[in-house]
Amino acid sequence: MVPETRYARNGNTRIAYQAIGQGALDLVFVPGFISNLDLHWEDPGYSRLLRRLSSFSRLIQFDKRGTGLSDRVDPAHLPSLETRMEDVHAVMDAAGSGRAALLGSSEGAPMSILFAATYPERTRALVLYGGYAHFHRWVQGPEAVAHFTEEAERSWGTGAMLRHFAPGRVEDPHFSRWWARFERLSASPTAAVALTRMNALIDLRAILPSIRVPTLVIHRQEDVRVDPEAGRYLAQNIPGARLIEIPGRDHPIWTGDVDQVADVIEEFLTGIRPQPQTSRALATLLASGMVGPERHAAKLGDRHWLERAEQLRTAAAGAVERFGGRIVTLDLERLIARFDGPAQAAGCATILRETAQWLGLRLSQGLHVGEVEISGDVIAGLAVHVTERIARHADAGEILASSVTAELSAGSGLHFCDREEIAVEGLSRPMRLVTMMTEQHLEPARHRRKEADLGKLSAREREVLALVANGLSNPAIAADLRLSEHTVKRHVANILLKLDLPTRAAAAALAARQPEVR
Amino acid sequence: MLTETKPVTGAAIKHAIENRDGRMLSSFYADDALVRVIDRNNPPSKPREVRGRAAITTFWDDICSRAMTHRVDTSITEDDRMAFTQSCAYPDGTKVFCIATIELKDGRIAEQTVVQAWDE
Repeated sequence: MVPETRYARNGNTRIAYQAIGQGALDLVFVPGFISNLDLHWEDPGYSRLLRRLSSFSRLIQFDKRGTGLSDRVDPAHLPSLETRMEDVHAVMDAAGSGRAALLGSSEGAPMSILFAATYPERTRALVLYGGYAHFHRWVQGPEAVAHFTEEAERSWGTGAMLRHFAPGRVEDPHFSRWWARFERLSASPTAAVALTRMNALIDLRAILPSIRVPTLVIHRQEDVRVDPEAGRYLAQNIPGARLIEIPGRDHPIWTGDVDQVADVIEEFLTGIRPQPQTSRALATLLASGMVGPERHAAKLGDRHWLERAEQLRTAAAGAVERFGGRIVTLDLERLIARFDGPAQAAGCATILRETAQWLGLRLSQGLHVGEVEISGDVIAGLAVHVTERIARHADAGEILASSVTAELSAGSGLHFCDREEIAVEGLSRPMRLVTMMTEQHLEPARHRRKEADLGKLSAREREVLALVANGLSNPAIAADLRLSEHTVKRHVANILLKLDLPTRAAAAALAARQPEVR
Repeated sequence: MLTETKPVTGAAIKHAIENRDGRMLSSFYADDALVRVIDRNNPPSKPREVRGRAAITTFWDDICSRAMTHRVDTSITEDDRMAFTQSCAYPDGTKVFCIATIELKDGRIAEQTVVQAWDE
């Protein structure tokens, strides 16, 4: 549920804010470069961070003027850092917060430092994440700022800027799409460029020694956007400040291990080390394993086996996403994913079986429904082991399920046939297994598929196919061929249609068998 | 300045809460008191626990620093146990409602359980 958005007034400008939770302590989250209160709740990492922080505080988040849901301002006359800092003051007044801890993230850190120096009586504590006191020294020099703004002018709102902030998420299509929306709905291109130029002027080094509130500095050890030296400088120059460096290179506070970030903040502000938060939930699990990988590797040669296994892995990630699942484990030979229901998990398993067949590989797969312990993206519990045990018991190409999965699938159109019982360690009674049947249609037997005719493809489509076969994503192909991502998507769809192939992995496998494409 | 130690009564609690007197509220607790808070973010199986008078003092200092109104409506006392309801409002209109039960030991609060809900 997205909390109600309210508006504070600073002069004639309305500042949007949300208050979440009712912990004794007020915690004001001062965002970085751009933000959009409503959109934060759509990203799992962001919403988890907000939920965690609001479990021990009344968390107040807001959009700076000119960004997100707050009033737009003339990009040619953006307000100074001091005026933006006054927005924090206005939000606290509107929310009835007399004294708050400030969590300044990235560009929000200098604003929070300025607030703490100006209003120490209203600052209970300061937490600075991925922050800095001098932009040019620790974020970008003047030349890099010029390149960044040129790129922002050209590609703001496409997601292309993501690599500057979270390179580890560039290959995550869901996050890339969210990021593109986040840019578009947080600031216009002109405002983004103006904000960048204004942030480049930040230099608060002189005021650090005047900070008199308890301060925690958190920085990721390989932060790609803000040099970790910036965090060390803050900790050395703010009296009594404590520095915690955490692993990771993605810059936004809501990416990477957000639980670790929330843990150190909670411990610093409450003095209590949080217990790992886990919860039990019923989940449908799919375990999928490659049959005889060593045999395939020996037959195909290491390089070809690796290429095909990589293609299968990419297809598996896409299939899990398409069926609304979440990956628990995914490597070249093994997948574990959880889904909301058996129909989704079975659909994903069917697509994976077809894709593996196209690639000349075989999978043994297991489905099971059971309670799991969920902690962030990690799940654990007996049900996971049971699912893997079922998958190991399945024959090559078979989708085997526990009988409870079949019982819960009634009405879904899935058909199962009884198999034997197996003993599973940890279960008091043997488990009855069923095998998932391929759908039977009243249509003529299908003839063996002929090898697709690449002559049907246009020159451009052949170019796209070659890049698909090289494992490039649609955004990467778009960049390589200087096309829009939309055009690339249409080319890929046409290729699949003309060649009568189910997935891009199948197209890649076909291309791999046709030397003229490579 | 030392805070006067008043007997813990329904009227004293009501006065301290409604006047946002954090120091007075803290003085009502035993040194090893426990405050347990249950709400949407802190479910019954994992309530938030504030232990000891120092932490409870910080807890009340934080709450009383808010520019909000508190009204203690219903207060029931039975031997060493008390219960009361509390209606609170922030300046932006957000409302919070709490029910608290208290157990006294040697005239001080030894345990308090607060269940709260709020507009969001």
